[in-house]
Amino acid sequence: MARSNYDYPGYDRSGPTYWTKTTLLYAVVVGGAILWSLPFWWTIATSISAAPATTSVALAPSDLTLGNFQTLFETQPVGRWFANTIIFAGSVTAFNLVFDSLAGYALARLDFAGRDKLFLLFVSTMMIPGMVTLIPVYVLLSELGWVNTYQGIIAPLIAQPIGIFLLRQHFKSMPSALGEAAQIDGCNQFQTFYKVYLPLAKPALATLGIYTFITTWNNFEWPLIIASDSSMYTLPVALFSVRNEYFTEWGLVMAAAAVIVVPIIIVFLSAQRYFIEGMTLSGMKG
Amino acid sequence: MDSGGRLVQSKTRYRQSIRRGTATLRAICSFFRTSSCFRSSCLARCCLRSTSRFSIGTSSSGGVSGRGRLFSVVSILTPWPWENNWASLRSPSYNLWWFALRNTFIYVIVVVPAQIIGAFFLALALDSRIRGKKALRAAYFMPVMLTSAASGVIWRWLLASNGVVNEILRPLGLAHGWASDPNTALWALTIIGIWGGIGFNMIFYLAGLQNIPEELYEAARIDGASGWDRIREVTWPNLRNTNFFVIVLSIIGTFQIFGIALVFAEGGPYYSTTTAVVHIYNTAFVYADYGEGAAMAFILFCILFIFSYYQYRYRQQEEVEY
Repeated sequence: MARSNYDYPGYDRSGPTYWTKTTLLYAVVVGGAILWSLPFWWTIATSISAAPATTSVALAPSDLTLGNFQTLFETQPVGRWFANTIIFAGSVTAFNLVFDSLAGYALARLDFAGRDKLFLLFVSTMMIPGMVTLIPVYVLLSELGWVNTYQGIIAPLIAQPIGIFLLRQHFKSMPSALGEAAQIDGCNQFQTFYKVYLPLAKPALATLGIYTFITTWNNFEWPLIIASDSSMYTLPVALFSVRNEYFTEWGLVMAAAAVIVVPIIIVFLSAQRYFIEGMTLSGMKG
Repeated sequence: MDSGGRLVQSKTRYRQSIRRGTATLRAICSFFRTSSCFRSSCLARCCLRSTSRFSIGTSSSGGVSGRGRLFSVVSILTPWPWENNWASLRSPSYNLWWFALRNTFIYVIVVVPAQIIGAFFLALALDSRIRGKKALRAAYFMPVMLTSAASGVIWRWLLASNGVVNEILRPLGLAHGWASDPNTALWALTIIGIWGGIGFNMIFYLAGLQNIPEELYEAARIDGASGWDRIREVTWPNLRNTNFFVIVLSIIGTFQIFGIALVFAEGGPYYSTTTAVVHIYNTAFVYADYGEGAAMAFILFCILFIFSYYQYRYRQQEEVEY
């Protein structure tokens, strides 16, 4: 698809101005892209180089070694952190899919008093910045005695208004004849939801699931506050503590960063579209 | 300089407004402490537990006089205290909350326009017929996927005194302790913010550009409009809604900067990167003063509510699609 402001069909492709323009455009955009991705490259390069006491601007890592990773994995419970992060992101995602789809379905397809007002209430909670509720939620959980437990890390995030919003829209857009046919065939309300409508919502569920997983994986603020014990850290929090521990041993710190960065790059290249969809909908990086 | 008198005038007015501001903060705190109607809500319950750690409001022993010098009108516009007396921030009578808010304002004022202008032109470029569009978009978008802890650590290392950036700048004689100098730490933070935010806004602009009908460009071309004319007369007016949405989103997002600032420099050196949320975090979770933290969070909520409300209204109107 040719966007029309520049280089449209019938555009004069001869003469010096065209070439200058094109070259300039490419130079700026490609140069910027390289600049933007360099930090990632340098992170990985530093983590696999030996003795980066002083960094050099060499674009290639010197003295390839996995020593940094070895030291890191021997001195720190990296496996445990990884498991924590998987548990955290995985269960938050699973809970979200269950609760958001149920709530979204109820708000779209069932008739009950105050339904739309309830939905408005859900949506208006999106107006509260995440940082504002951090303290009350923490105090509540500490009174429950859930600080430093899995349920404490997971509980506040098990449903999110944006997911309810997204799934409600999807369920609303589906034809009601399907549900009526199912009811005539003897399905009860839950079967109608589970057997008829839920399979149709698969694309939305995929978007929501992937988006939730990535944002939870990246969540730094909440685990930082609720997990004070190093055995309960998730990877971002662990990275922060590793940095404070090995203040200037950048090779080790960058190895810890690479443990986070590499999975993200892999996931990013495969699931970028879903993440972007979820992000544009919620308007939040997470 | 005929503006000298006016400067003094606005200085005193500004001091008064600071006094009034702290009075408001006090009022809010006392409202939370005393009000019974809010007692059921959790936020208010937190606010009931105040044990003053930093003095809220001014200490009666003339806290303002010391601050007035530091907070001249000019100092609001520059990212460092006017008289460069960073040490005064360490004194316990100094109310860091205002300083943190000021840091946040500076960060927002620098980052939001840069992000938006950059994202707009990037989207224009990546929407034209250019090779490798997907890869380029991915490159700009990658930082958005990165957790704030990782961006903080990575940039801390890039900007360390023996880091990569200084290695590049040293031959030019520009090497500098970017993160350890209080005068430049906030600037470094804005650079991280721009790096992490351009891709995010670019997505929205790309979506907006897709929605502009082709015929408008055709018509403009037939009328003989040049490239710039087409951007000004067709693209820009048609992106009005996108613009509005992106600006509001950016403001809400950048105002809550926390993770990057905390990991990058722990809010230091000399509190120069202590943003509003970092200060709330320190107050509530480092000094275990939930009441004061919650009061500050409430103020933050009041500031952001204006923007959130408009975003909410906007979202009701239309759907953004990628």
